[in-house]
Amino acid sequence: MYGLVALGYHITWVTSRTMNFSQGHAVMAGGVVAYGLHVAAGWPLAPALVLTLAACALFGLLVERVAVRPFFRAASPVWLLSTIACGIIAENVAMLTFGKDARAFPSALATRPVFILGAGVYPLELLLPVAGLSLMGAVQLFYHRTFFGKQLKAVAFNAEAAGLMGISIPRAVMTAYGLSALLAGVAGVMLAPLTNVAPTMGTLIGLKAFAVAIIGGLNSAAGIVAAGLLYGLVESLVAGYVSTGAREIVGFALVIAMLVLRPWGLLGARPARRV
Amino acid sequence: MVYRRWMLSIALVALALVASGPGVHAQSTPVKLGLSAAVSGGSAASGEAIKRGLLIAIDEINARGGVLGGRKLELVVRDDEGNPAKGVVIARELVEREQVAAVFGGLHTTVALAQVPVWHELKTPYMGMWAAGTNITRNGQKPNYAFRVSANDDYVDKFLARYATERLKRGKPGFLLENTAWGQSNEVGLTKWFGDQGVKAVGIEKFNWNDPDMSPQLLRLKNGGADLVVLVANAPEGAQVVKSRAKVGWAVPILSHWGISGGRFAELTGDLSDGVTFIQTYSFFGQQSARGQHVLKQLAEKFGVKGPEEVIAPVGTANAYDALHLVALAIEQAKSTDGAKVRDALEDLKGEYTGLIKAYRRPFTSDQHDALTDQDYIMVVWRGGKIVPVQ
Repeated sequence: MYGLVALGYHITWVTSRTMNFSQGHAVMAGGVVAYGLHVAAGWPLAPALVLTLAACALFGLLVERVAVRPFFRAASPVWLLSTIACGIIAENVAMLTFGKDARAFPSALATRPVFILGAGVYPLELLLPVAGLSLMGAVQLFYHRTFFGKQLKAVAFNAEAAGLMGISIPRAVMTAYGLSALLAGVAGVMLAPLTNVAPTMGTLIGLKAFAVAIIGGLNSAAGIVAAGLLYGLVESLVAGYVSTGAREIVGFALVIAMLVLRPWGLLGARPARRV
Repeated sequence: MVYRRWMLSIALVALALVASGPGVHAQSTPVKLGLSAAVSGGSAASGEAIKRGLLIAIDEINARGGVLGGRKLELVVRDDEGNPAKGVVIARELVEREQVAAVFGGLHTTVALAQVPVWHELKTPYMGMWAAGTNITRNGQKPNYAFRVSANDDYVDKFLARYATERLKRGKPGFLLENTAWGQSNEVGLTKWFGDQGVKAVGIEKFNWNDPDMSPQLLRLKNGGADLVVLVANAPEGAQVVKSRAKVGWAVPILSHWGISGGRFAELTGDLSDGVTFIQTYSFFGQQSARGQHVLKQLAEKFGVKGPEEVIAPVGTANAYDALHLVALAIEQAKSTDGAKVRDALEDLKGEYTGLIKAYRRPFTSDQHDALTDQDYIMVVWRGGKIVPVQ
């Protein structure tokens, strides 16, 4: 799931050299909206999911329009702060409407555990990596095989040239933001039965996903996928064998180490040095 | 001309001062009492329950004329959100701006501990209703402004240790505590009182607020050979512990402190909560005293609570109800709302107050600021989403 949310950072970075720091809150939005529709209003799961994902994509588009586009045009790094602000606003809106306590999101896939090799696992937890990897694969296909995906890559490669060729840059950036928020929403919905839904559920996930994006290399989707799996693995091992308190420490220490030793990430491209 | 205008304004000011002087309106100004509790968030149920207990008692007292010859009691509520920094700000605001005579506390030990220095600096009595941290009342201050009608971790741990060894006959407990001052307070107490029974914990595990999964901790306790998990957690984390227990497939009994009853524990866990046993100071089930019936009736009339199984976070209401009566008695005895005088009166309450939880005779002394001890606790268990006393 970290990989899925981290992919969102990658997509927007690669398309517009900006990142949506409210990705974590898009995760939360996914959980909260799904709760509102499916649990509180009693909608059946499928239409609730569709509307939830649409709402998340809308959130991403909104963030892009309000917090990124004005600064993108001015080539100013203020999008960093403004996307964080959007996240904070989203969290507080959720607190006002949804309430501050955690609510349970029931799911047939997370009620009774299955036992594999003596370890109890919910079917939902088995579904998570499968869904995550297939979604990431789908995104890659979109980029490399479809025409629109190639347009996004073109904008990432050289925005001016792409613009000259008639590719709409604003539309590309918008799509990137919508897509990344959508992926985050999927993560939110899938995590909701496991972690309970609360307005604060997104913050830590957003941070860890950012860490994963850094470790994997912001420019490399494959790197992020690998880093996501690696990070989750390290977290669980540390929590299991060392101490649960050390879990966050080790994770973020990895990020720092990565930035010091290999800033372009695991599989990112080493920036060419002009001599 | 200037001289006349000057005299006129002085006369007007003098008149205003006289008119607003203390003697004239004192009889009808209400006596304000403050509440600092978590009214929102994961333990909001506790704040609501406490508020209800206080309001029922306040209405009772106001119906028979109030205190100090006709002054009505008024409750000023502030949401501390379980945040110690916010609690300190609220503490100052309640005393300095709202000028409350005393402040009642909420669920969070962390908030109460942060507020203790403020009560002593501003000389305002604090009455705890839920937060059980031992050092809230045993804070080493003289004179001590912190009182409590609620559980005290030290007594709770004694009660839990006794129950585990004598009633449940378990000799290998594992402690699972939240990583906060409250968890630490209980770590000390549980180690001491289990040790008193000759039992040592097979493991002491911690978790943080908002942790989604406690499987690693439970697995470590399981591998250590624990036959009982002693839990100190609030509702959201407690729910995740119970879910993790189901996930690792370990049918170990859980004996818990009462934090889990302060929020939506049953809702978050579904039928997984069945069998989780924990401590309370009062139960609205079973044969009720006249006061108990009266409080249940008030809960029904004012808040639409149809029966004991619908009472949310019952200890909040019970503790608050009795505590408010005790504070009102102290104010009457002190014949004043001055913080120091009320404090002195609380330490030396005359007469007997037959309350909800028990009959209080001299509940506080200079050494004892907890009105309830382990002799007053009861054990309850979740069954079908409802809290019922253990038979």
